[in-house]
Formats: sequence, structure tokens, C-alpha cells
Amino acid sequence: MTELRFARDVYAGEAVDEAVKTWSRFADFALTETEAHWVVQVTPKHEAAARQIIGEFGNFVLGLTVDRGGVS
Amino acid sequence: MSSENQISFTDIPDAIASASGTDRSVSMTVDSELYPLQAVYGASYIFIDRCYVFIDRPAPGSYRITLSAKQSVEEAEALRQLVGEFANELLSCTWRHQVTQDNRVAIETVTVQAIAGAMGEPSLDDLADFDFTDEALDDPLGIAQSWEEKHGRPSPDAKAKTASEPGADEAKADAEEASA
Repeated sequence: MTELRFARDVYAGEAVDEAVKTWSRFADFALTETEAHWVVQVTPKHEAAARQIIGEFGNFVLGLTVDRGGVS
Repeated sequence: MSSENQISFTDIPDAIASASGTDRSVSMTVDSELYPLQAVYGASYIFIDRCYVFIDRPAPGSYRITLSAKQSVEEAEALRQLVGEFANELLSCTWRHQVTQDNRVAIETVTVQAIAGAMGEPSLDDLADFDFTDEALDDPLGIAQSWEEKHGRPSPDAKAKTASEPGADEAKADAEEASA
């Protein structure tokens, strides 16, 4: 399991939610939040591709945030 | 993004960039006053086909960008090249952001004029339907008011109307008698 902490003033919460839905085929996710971060615990379903799944998931969240014009 | 095996670059200060040989990643810390978030987004977006990109805020006033190469990176020189390219791209995005901000009013004005011109001149029906009652004039000193409105006097039109009403003369005569 890997914990990713997305800063709330950099990443849009809706982007995190949407990315989790899209990537739920490849990993199990647990979402929590702190005052400053969206915290996502990622457990890839394919251990051999764990780095790729986690990295691409992070890129996906960033891409969705940029597409939304950033944090509103 | 923990990094145990730190690599330092001789020509880049440690406070700005540090690299990890174990997870083939490199982190940069940049000042958020110099580099706005929109520019960081722009530069990061360009690198997501080559790297896994994470942006963090280690402290107010700074961003930390972590680039983790998708392909195997054997040498520290390749990570250094990644940092350099990202820094250049970030500077380019920042400058374009600044130019856009500086010219925003001009761009919006030209765009509105172009759209208005494409719509053509309004027809007589459009003018007849236009609502002119919307008060666009802010008049805190009451300059646009008439003299009668300003001093609470009846307008010339109202005076003429009162005089022309039937029975007005009789009422005036009764009032004069009563006062005598």
C-alpha cells in the first residue's frame, strides 16, 4: 500500500474522486482528508506494475486538475 | 517520494533541486511568488508523457515538483537534464502567463468587438425590444436630476395639468374666501 498526499491548494478534490473511479480497475483506493491534503491510499492489484499504476494515477489527477483550470 | 540515495548536482544548488538514484526521481523546490501555480501546471503538463509528476506545497510560498522518470534512468546526468529542461519550461510558462495577464484587457476588448461585429448591426425590432430602463448611470451628486426633482417642486407639466383640471378654479376661490 502506498499513501499519496495531494495538496488541496494544488489538486482539485473532484479530480481526485474522478481519477479514483477511473483507476479502480487497477488498484484499491481508500480516501481520507486532512486540513491541507487529499490523502489516497493506493493498493495496486498488479504488484509488478505498482510503480506504473501509482505514477499514472498521479498524472491522471494532475491532468484532470489542469483540465478543470486548477483549484477553484 | 522518499529518497535515500541522494545525488547532488554541482551546478544546481541543493536547496533548489535534489535527485534520488534509487527511485530515479528528482525534486525541485521553487518560489511560488516567482512561479505562479498556473505556470507550474503548464510545465508539469508538458512532462507527464515522460515522467510521473507530483506537485506538493512543503511550505507556504513554495512548490515542490517531483519528476520520476517513466523509463529507466541510469546516470545522474540524465536526471540533471530533466531538471534543467523542466526549469526552462517553467520559466517559459511563467513568462507566457505574465504576458497573458498584462494583455488580458486588450484581448478581451478585441474578442468582444470581433463577436459584436460578427453579429451585425441591431435591427429596428431589436432596438424596439431593448430595455432602456436599466440604470447604468451612477449619479451620487444628483447631476442628472432635474431642478424640480432635486428641490421637491412640482414640474411644469404637473402645474399645467392641475390648472386644467375642472373645478380647480372654484376650489381656489373657496380657499381665498375662507382665508379672508
